[in-house]
Amino acid sequence: MEHTAAVVIEALHRIRLHPVALSWRAGLWLLLLPYLVGTLLLVGLPALLSAVLAFTSYDALTPPVFVGFTNFRLLAADPMVTTAIGNSLFFIVLAVPLRVLGALGLALLLRRPRRGVGAYRAAVYLPTVIPDVAFALIWLWIFNPLYGPLNVALGALGLPQPGWLADAGTARFPFVFMAAFQIGEGFVVLLAALRGLPREYEDAGAVDGAGRWAAFRYLTLPLLLPWLALLTFRDVILSFQWTFTPSIVMTGGDPYYSTLFLPLLIYEEAFDGFRFGAGSALMLITFLLSAAIIGAIYLLFRQRGYVADV
Amino acid sequence: MSEPGRARGRGRGLLTGRQRDPGLTGRRLLTGQLLPLLLAALFLLPLLWMITASLRGPGLPPPRSIEWLPTSPSPANYGEVFELLPFGRYLLNSLAVVALALPLTIITASAAGFAMAQLERRSRSALVVLSVALLLVPVTALWLTRFLLFSWVGLTDSLLALVVPALAGSSPLFVLLYYWTFRRAQPGIFEMAHLDGAEVFTVWRRIALPNAVPTTIAVAVLTFILYWSDFISPLLYLRDQGLYTLPLGLRQLQQLDPTGWPVLMAGAVMLTLPAVLFFLLVQHLFLGERGLRGR
Repeated sequence: MEHTAAVVIEALHRIRLHPVALSWRAGLWLLLLPYLVGTLLLVGLPALLSAVLAFTSYDALTPPVFVGFTNFRLLAADPMVTTAIGNSLFFIVLAVPLRVLGALGLALLLRRPRRGVGAYRAAVYLPTVIPDVAFALIWLWIFNPLYGPLNVALGALGLPQPGWLADAGTARFPFVFMAAFQIGEGFVVLLAALRGLPREYEDAGAVDGAGRWAAFRYLTLPLLLPWLALLTFRDVILSFQWTFTPSIVMTGGDPYYSTLFLPLLIYEEAFDGFRFGAGSALMLITFLLSAAIIGAIYLLFRQRGYVADV
Repeated sequence: MSEPGRARGRGRGLLTGRQRDPGLTGRRLLTGQLLPLLLAALFLLPLLWMITASLRGPGLPPPRSIEWLPTSPSPANYGEVFELLPFGRYLLNSLAVVALALPLTIITASAAGFAMAQLERRSRSALVVLSVALLLVPVTALWLTRFLLFSWVGLTDSLLALVVPALAGSSPLFVLLYYWTFRRAQPGIFEMAHLDGAEVFTVWRRIALPNAVPTTIAVAVLTFILYWSDFISPLLYLRDQGLYTLPLGLRQLQQLDPTGWPVLMAGAVMLTLPAVLFFLLVQHLFLGERGLRGR
């Protein structure tokens, strides 16, 4: 940043001295300025501020008061926090593998150009562009225990019709299920990664008489692993926030807090309860949790010798 | 001829031998045609059910058997949405946000991507790493303190609060898309124009941007979807109902009548359709064989 500032100052000097002659390099940094300053103000500053506010008591009306680790002590003793962490972990443990493997399976299935494949790819991507609120409402309708198409279909087949979102025992499963439909981004990334693989690998595999599974297992998969690792990391982080809109629209955290996920709890602490200090502390906890999960996954990948050079 | 040539020939023989095997032909049909078709249908099912439910005639009881297509389609629910809430107003607000954010995003993201691509190696890779890292930052990790910052400078309860991210290119992904596009350009072409006396800004505006039209179209559509769908920002920043955007209006519709499914689905269709249509228009840029990055 210091460097940037120096360049900008240099650029401004030049403008004043020679209104026309702006050096190429200074001009480039000027073009970068909105992105860098905007990121600093919209990401850097809020991140710094929440790290500070986590150690204060603040209601947005009176000045914040430093309280040390009090927020963390209170949160640790709060059963709602443990419930929310448990729910979020439940979602992540089921949704992340399902989403990453789903994207991988579809990318493998639809990788070859042939008739109709464009339409299939578009169909797979389509749920990803549905606006979040509409997406949540659609699934609220589909999972409606009495009239929803899903239970009507299950009933017609003579299968049991669970209460889904109305039943604390099953309420978290629809979240996992619908998350598996919005995998367009991972799908596109893996399609591009597969396209980037040298064709010779598989031809060589075929020459050696390797079956399709062996070719995939020993040739394609190892080359894809860095991408899969990256997608998994990204999914873990985004999964914490993904649950927010569905949970506020579909259940509000009910029944019996079974769908109270971390972002919803943070929202309620801060914007309903005006406890911005506790909210920031929860954000910090979420951040540390995702860092811990990613660290664990990284070690798992590295132990198997896959991400030697990530 | 040489060994490898014969090896190739043998390999081919192996493959054709396999194709003749009836069991494998069946499997080929399954993974080649049937499975993709079924999966594509599965992914379209939520959209189909939304549209079907939205067209159900008013006053009819909820269906007791599965309805693939509406039995007596009626557009009445769509009119009902506008009677229950000022959806026209919300639509205008949404369009105003998009109309401001879209050009701003194109300008800031393309400027940043262009500059990044022209910088020397060290700064360039540092900025790429920064942008990729920023892609991993979830909004919910920042919303609380961002809200406080906005309210301190008086930005809350204003449509501008929804547009502010456009000043920083809206998403690091858009900056990276432009960066990749301009990195692929003929090396030195932009500096040469500069040596001929063109200013940096002129080179960016007159030479770089006109040569990046597919990227601009892709970024424009992604930006449209981003702002058109945005639910969290208006939920946090807007109190005045006159400023509500469509996603917030849809949520309001749900709060008014949580079990009026046909009307709710009509609202959901109206919010979803523009995003889906714009995506379909440009999907070949993302999903086609060449992809945005080309080869």
